[in-house]
Amino acid sequence: MEAKTPSAAVNVPLYRKIRLAVVVWMTVVVLAAFSFGGLWLNIPRINMLEHTARNLYFHVPMWFTMMAIAIVSAYHSFRYLQNGHVIRDVRARAAALLAVVFGILGLVTGSVWAHYTWYEGTNIWWNFDPKQSMAAIQVLIYGAYFVLRSALDDPEKRARIAAVYNLFAFVTVPFLLYVLPRQQDSLHPGAEGNPAFSDITHPIMRFVFYPAIIGFIGVFWLLYTQRVRAAQIQQRLDALDEPEL
Amino acid sequence: MKTLQVVPDTSQTTATPYDSIWGNPDVPVQAVSGLDQVMLSNDKLFVVMAVALIIWFGLVFFVFRTDRKLDRLERTLNERIAQNEE
Repeated sequence: MEAKTPSAAVNVPLYRKIRLAVVVWMTVVVLAAFSFGGLWLNIPRINMLEHTARNLYFHVPMWFTMMAIAIVSAYHSFRYLQNGHVIRDVRARAAALLAVVFGILGLVTGSVWAHYTWYEGTNIWWNFDPKQSMAAIQVLIYGAYFVLRSALDDPEKRARIAAVYNLFAFVTVPFLLYVLPRQQDSLHPGAEGNPAFSDITHPIMRFVFYPAIIGFIGVFWLLYTQRVRAAQIQQRLDALDEPEL
Repeated sequence: MKTLQVVPDTSQTTATPYDSIWGNPDVPVQAVSGLDQVMLSNDKLFVVMAVALIIWFGLVFFVFRTDRKLDRLERTLNERIAQNEE
């Protein structure tokens, strides 16, 4: 094992630069998301959707971010199985936690959106649309990662088994969030093999949608790095309690 | 000032009934009242605000949890320093 000091695993000056960039970026994204009035980024009015089309900038990036998180988490689990460095387990765990957070936010925001569009005039918030159900299962799969971890006491065994499970969880992502929902009739765009950007999605929305995805992934990275730094301090404190070799 | 561009309503003619609720004429539609009335006003702009606020509060909640973790770390560190001084 290379003698890398634990504190070197997070590049703090770089973290601060990215933090500033993310804050400025997201501020512009939110301003753009709510902009209207004839001058900038007007969106067409579509029956039933109306202004809620703007949720494209908030609800959909939750899922793109969750996919990005799944890649990050699986990468670190894979590296952990390769070399057994504890930092890999720390990173995989921190990322998986944020996968659950973004997944829950995606589910809740989707439910609110559906209540005021698809289910307008009813008291319904959830009607088991295939994509919703699959996404909920996906969040539960990542939630189970933490249940599994809490069930194992030996740190090394826990890290190893959790890493293997995390790779399994990652493999399910493209199927549950992409392949299966598209093969069923769904109110979500992209069902029946249609492109997710349907004809009624005005092209101008892409100018906000893609930056929003980048911005939310940036927000994830900040929260994730904070967790990694905290977990590292925890480990260095724990290491002090262990007898010197 | 340009207004939002109006697209013709095709939901009743081209929409496939994918869902047991949406587009189903047998599901009774209630008169909106209270909170829903506010949410649906102004071309449903408040729904977008609600979604943005849910995400904002969710992320803030997470930041608070991280802070709590840091509080715990500080306590542990202080205990250790106290132990070393004994």
